Amino acid sequence: MSIIEVRGLRKFYGGRAVVDGVSFSVEKGEIFGILGPNGAGKTTTVECIGGLRSRDGGTITVAGFDPAGEDKALREELGIQLQESTLPEKQTVAEALQLYSSFYRDPRDWRELLDRLGLQTQANTYFGKLSGGQKQRLSVALALVGNPQVAILDELTTGLDPAARREVWGLLEDLKDTGVTLLLVSHFMEEAERLCDRVAVIDHGKVIALDTPEGLASGVRADQRMSFEPSGPIEPGVLEQLPDVHHVTTRDRRLIVTGTDNVASAVIIALHQRGVACQRLRVDQPSLDDAFVALTGNVDRELEPGAADALSR
Amino acid sequence: MSAAGAMIKSEARLLGRNPGVVAWAIVLPVAAAIVLAAIPGTRTPQDYFGGVSAFQAYQPILVLFVLAILAVQALPDVLTRYREMGVLKRLRTTPVSPGLLLFAQLALMVGVSLVCLVLIVVIPGIISGQWPKSPVAYLISYLLVAWAMLGLGMVISSLFRNAKVAAGFGTVLFFVLQFFAGLWVTRASMPEWMRWISNLTPSGAATQSLMDAASGQWPNLGYWAVLLAWGLGSSAVSIRLFRWE
Repeated sequence: MSIIEVRGLRKFYGGRAVVDGVSFSVEKGEIFGILGPNGAGKTTTVECIGGLRSRDGGTITVAGFDPAGEDKALREELGIQLQESTLPEKQTVAEALQLYSSFYRDPRDWRELLDRLGLQTQANTYFGKLSGGQKQRLSVALALVGNPQVAILDELTTGLDPAARREVWGLLEDLKDTGVTLLLVSHFMEEAERLCDRVAVIDHGKVIALDTPEGLASGVRADQRMSFEPSGPIEPGVLEQLPDVHHVTTRDRRLIVTGTDNVASAVIIALHQRGVACQRLRVDQPSLDDAFVALTGNVDRELEPGAADALSR
Repeated sequence: MSAAGAMIKSEARLLGRNPGVVAWAIVLPVAAAIVLAAIPGTRTPQDYFGGVSAFQAYQPILVLFVLAILAVQALPDVLTRYREMGVLKRLRTTPVSPGLLLFAQLALMVGVSLVCLVLIVVIPGIISGQWPKSPVAYLISYLLVAWAMLGLGMVISSLFRNAKVAAGFGTVLFFVLQFFAGLWVTRASMPEWMRWISNLTPSGAATQSLMDAASGQWPNLGYWAVLLAWGLGSSAVSIRLFRWE
């Protein structure tokens, strides 16, 4: 029995289907990622699952409840971290956690949560004085303080600097062993690759792929790509003759070679025979990033008006 | 602690850290009432005030001043900011309703205004011996005024998404209300037509019914009806229009 079941979810805005027949299920204890470009319908999907938005079609169950029923009992089992939601400037971390824990029948010990999220030293700090990463950690804490079975985390690391982002990821990895099921909305491939057990890619309101991050990445037929600085002079034509090599380009002193899965060893052996070594070697696997671009097709859509925030990243 | 208790405590603490406009709502009218009561000259009836003393004329205006500042300025400011910040939406994700936050805010505003009422009535009463002669009528009038004012504050909180716009509108409304209450031109010296308009505003009806109750008469039921209509009307409008996000 899955803890989240979504079947044929539909949502229309002004006659346009923003979510158009989304189906997936999430198992207990899983970290499930929902990926997609801006405006793909990710947030609308999780807000329907969270019971914050009414749906126009399909069925949803979360921990045995239909979220459309506005059932208070569901709120005990489901914690939600919302995109861009803040707290009063002059509320301290401890006060916020204490207040929100008073809303639940069987809350977690908020002091324990404070330690777990590494916020002990900030307990008496005003929300307005926290760093971006600390605010997000508090936001996760508030989603978990009710001791829910399921937590929805929407764009948790958007707007954070890389260090703060890694800090939040580390925290979520630690949460894995508590058995909480996490539904993670993101448009960072690295985030999904690192954290998620399975990933659904949503585009134009539809699920276009659903697999493990590795499964998605390996499904893409992409060239292997290597780059290096040769220790001595070498003609690109020598490498182009190799059967495993498709393409060679030169950038400053660096050679960039693409080809089949065997391209790296073929090139290294060929150079070795000529007494040339590969320095500063780098080999790139097809990543979830490549899979994502291949699946959603166009990078252009990120440049549409209304997706301006994608440009700033 | 119950969720409601924890919420009121938390909101009270936040108000204490950000007293701003609420501090003025308390200090200014309370000080004015005490000064007025301390000057013997304010105790003699005058024609300009329609046959009552200056103290009798201004005390109800000061009582209204507190309620109006709290209801149409402080309350919409807090509520629209909470909506902008997503605090109300976050509460929707918990087992308690965001309505609990509204309740806590209303309870807090009523609490603060009651403390001010006591200060404005009791301290001058001790100084000058002038007490409301019909306390029951006074209290009924006060509760009706509070309802009408808080209702207006809720309408502002419902109509405006933007906290700054709501605050600006609240300020304008505050001065309009104070004008019809007779802060600048007393109701007694208003031209006939203007007094008629004043009678139909919640602040004009508020001043007159509080003044009548203070001088020992039961207020004309027409004033109570006006206040009741504003209370009911504003509540109905804000319940229909208020949005959590």
